[in-house]
Amino acid sequence: MTSSPSTTLREAARAPARGSLRGHAARAAPWLIAACVVGYALVVGGYAATVVAFALIYAIFVSGLNIFMGLTAQVSFGQSAFAAIGGYASAVLTTEYEWGLLPAMGAGLAGALAFAFVVGYPTLRLKGHYLSMATLAIGLITYEIAVQWDSVTQGYLGISGIPPLGIAGYEATTDRQILIVLSVCVIATVLAVARIRRSRVGRAFAGLAGSEEAARALGINVARYKLLSFLLSAGFGSLAGSLFVHVVGYVSPEVFSLHMIILSFTMLYVGGIGTIAGPVVGALVVSVLPETFRAFRDYQDLAYGTALILLLIFAPRGLAGLFTAIEEKRSP
Amino acid sequence: MDSALIGQSLVSGLGIGCVYGLIGIGFCVIYNASGIVNFAQGAFVMLGGMITHVLLVRGQLPYIAAIVLSVLVVALLGVVIERLVVRPLWKRNAPMFVMILATLAAQIVIERLTFLAVDDQPKTLPVFTDLPPIMVGGVAVNIQSLWIVAGSLAIVGLLALFFKGTRTGKAMRACAINREAAALQGIPVHGMLALAFGLSAGLGAIAGIMLTPTQYTAFNVGVPFAISGFIAAIIGGFGRPFGAFLGGLTLGVVQSVAILAFGAGLKTVVALSVLLLFLFVRPSGILGAAK
Amino acid sequence: MTACLKVEGATKTFGGLTAVNAVSFEVKPRSVTAIIGPNGAGKTTLFNLISGALPLSDGRVLFEGVDVTAEEPEAKAARGLIRTFQLVKLFPELSAVENVKVGFHLRSRGGLLSALLRPRWVRQMEAEIDGRARELLDLVGLGTAADRPASALSYGQGRLLEVARALAAGPKLLLLDEPAAGLNADESARLASLIRRIAEDGTAVLLIEHDMHLVMNTADDIVVVDFGKKIAQGAPDRIREDPAVIAAYLG
Ligand SMILES: Nc1ncnc2c1ncn2[C@@H]1O[C@H](COP(=O)(O)OP(=O)(O)OP(=O)(O)O)[C@@H](O)[C@H]1O
Ligand SMILES: [Mg+2]
Repeated sequence: MTSSPSTTLREAARAPARGSLRGHAARAAPWLIAACVVGYALVVGGYAATVVAFALIYAIFVSGLNIFMGLTAQVSFGQSAFAAIGGYASAVLTTEYEWGLLPAMGAGLAGALAFAFVVGYPTLRLKGHYLSMATLAIGLITYEIAVQWDSVTQGYLGISGIPPLGIAGYEATTDRQILIVLSVCVIATVLAVARIRRSRVGRAFAGLAGSEEAARALGINVARYKLLSFLLSAGFGSLAGSLFVHVVGYVSPEVFSLHMIILSFTMLYVGGIGTIAGPVVGALVVSVLPETFRAFRDYQDLAYGTALILLLIFAPRGLAGLFTAIEEKRSP
Repeated sequence: MDSALIGQSLVSGLGIGCVYGLIGIGFCVIYNASGIVNFAQGAFVMLGGMITHVLLVRGQLPYIAAIVLSVLVVALLGVVIERLVVRPLWKRNAPMFVMILATLAAQIVIERLTFLAVDDQPKTLPVFTDLPPIMVGGVAVNIQSLWIVAGSLAIVGLLALFFKGTRTGKAMRACAINREAAALQGIPVHGMLALAFGLSAGLGAIAGIMLTPTQYTAFNVGVPFAISGFIAAIIGGFGRPFGAFLGGLTLGVVQSVAILAFGAGLKTVVALSVLLLFLFVRPSGILGAAK
Repeated sequence: MTACLKVEGATKTFGGLTAVNAVSFEVKPRSVTAIIGPNGAGKTTLFNLISGALPLSDGRVLFEGVDVTAEEPEAKAARGLIRTFQLVKLFPELSAVENVKVGFHLRSRGGLLSALLRPRWVRQMEAEIDGRARELLDLVGLGTAADRPASALSYGQGRLLEVARALAAGPKLLLLDEPAAGLNADESARLASLIRRIAEDGTAVLLIEHDMHLVMNTADDIVVVDFGKKIAQGAPDRIREDPAVIAAYLG
């Protein structure tokens, strides 16, 4: 770094030290909730573990979405495409070609990133409803291809017999093992997102989110950082897709339909868009709550849709908004 | 390939294209009044056919009464969605994608409620006039397609009269051109938004009713229709109602030709590819975007 | 001594309106140059041409002897040409100090990998950036507001924050668009001395300002525009007496 003309004089005013007990508690609360839910599932096992495992996979997917939409303030209705690429690559390569799990996942990741790179270039120049629709179209086209290309994807029938998660001879087959593997993945994802956010890259994302014009005037290459953000979210989407097919053992196009998009947006808004904990808390809450009212299973999409509308209107910052409200009450 | 087959698919393409065009007009009317892209548009199309079916079969109403009542109910629903979902967000100046997301969610909610209230079976309606197809140079043109084309053209004509010839229509156009200025001139801008939703919903319902006799309707046909209507609007230059109609015709024809060439399975992929092509190469559409 | 910035015949037309009409002038290193003129004269448009926010209809912009006319804003920023905005463009979700840290983009390094691994040099760099961002806030008088969200700042404070953020980018030429708007007399005087000091420390300043007191106290050279044309240029004393300027302002 070169020396700036204005920093020659050092004045000694520092910000007051942050954090009080209440502030720490409020920031820890979402993580405690998440840990409790996962802990409960670990103890109880069985169906609860399945539901929570599903939620953890979504937590990774939504964290990726959050990089692009929350940290960078862009729009994508097509993230399901990347999950589909990861999921189908894993499924096809491990069943049909008997690849190992990690190489198959890696191939899916590479495929998703390549696809994101190719479509990202023309798409990310768009704004507003043009961007929304272009990304939605990309997601829907991917879904249609999964349906139509049945020589590879087996169409609506789907692919079954996908091997479970496992590395080097160790396989995660019981509910608890799966939960532990997924928890580790979620923790790694959360740490990665948190570190990205407080880095130079994260500041560039925040800058272009706040004002593209101001960001460019400060030398931030807006097009490049948008693409980077898109690639990151595609990468997490692909990993989530791969994890999903290995955990469930089966994949069909329906997994990556419009339902996935609505569900992930609901999770993002329930937890709080733009926050680190939001995607995790949102994924857990949205997956667990309907299960506790098992009778309502037929009404799931109805509930997600209604919840999403109500959240957008009345609580656009989600649960995270609630926690910060508590935190901010500490000081006048 | 046999030319009669091509002629046949062009005719059916024009028929469905009219429907896409009407849905596209619905997008434009709302967009012009408010800058909102309303994704619940497809739900109105689905409900038009569905409610008519229910009134006709379960309610035993005469066909024409069922149609009129259905259009009115759907138009009213459009106003209700505007009040409950759109206006709170609009007042808060929510970003565009939040609006799209909220109306998409409204679409899903309507879809699911329909599923619960009716069932998941495809429903159809009787043709408007039970006559054999007419042969034009070896091409069989079914009468319902003629109804669709004639009905759509009549609606487009009426809309033109409404926008150019009535005070309300002119006020809506003034809102489209400059909302603040329109508000200053005493035009009730909120009322115009509600009216735009009612009008678009009614248009969607009519489109759905005309189309259902040649195809079918089911609780989940809305989203594909919304997307097709949106594509029509993009092709025509977003915000240009008559461009959207032409865009609908273009899309309908392209799609039917694509079905001939690649089979019915890829028709959605073709439509979406047309959308991406326009968005990437010429987002302002054939005629150039409004404003 | 070569000019820091050289504008040659810069012209911008919007449809039929010529907002900037063949304007030429130079900015010398270590100097403060002010652009003044009535509302709508084309001052901000001229800034947009220099900073690359708008393409020129005609003319050239040279920065340190290099033709940068067609360069993108981020490329010009990388050369050290940094601007602020008349309508402040802060990053409202971030705190004041984080806003300034974004300004250090060009003078720090690190990509995705270093963000994820956070090696020692990154931690050191981050600590340094944090310290220097706070110093910059102190410098513009926002030291106590460092951790407040940018959206909670007053209009005048927002302008000062933009100045601090621009300084963080290490400008060789700093373009300030009406930095004193919304400031009270004290703040404005403080800003004037800050602008002088920035110039003395080696950064040329190009300033659009309606506050004549500030302009007369800080500028070495004044460019007057009216209806898109340059009508006068010179030292403050000359401009004060110039009949064309008096006519433009009074008539
Ligand atoms: N993007 C644009 N499109 C069309 N006209 C524009 C555009 N930007 C500026 N103008 C016009 O160019 C003229 C000059 O505007 P500009 O903002 O440069 O004036 P200014 O000198 O900065 O005024 P002020 O002191 O009020 O800030 C005005 O008539 C304005 O309406
Ligand atoms: Mg100006």
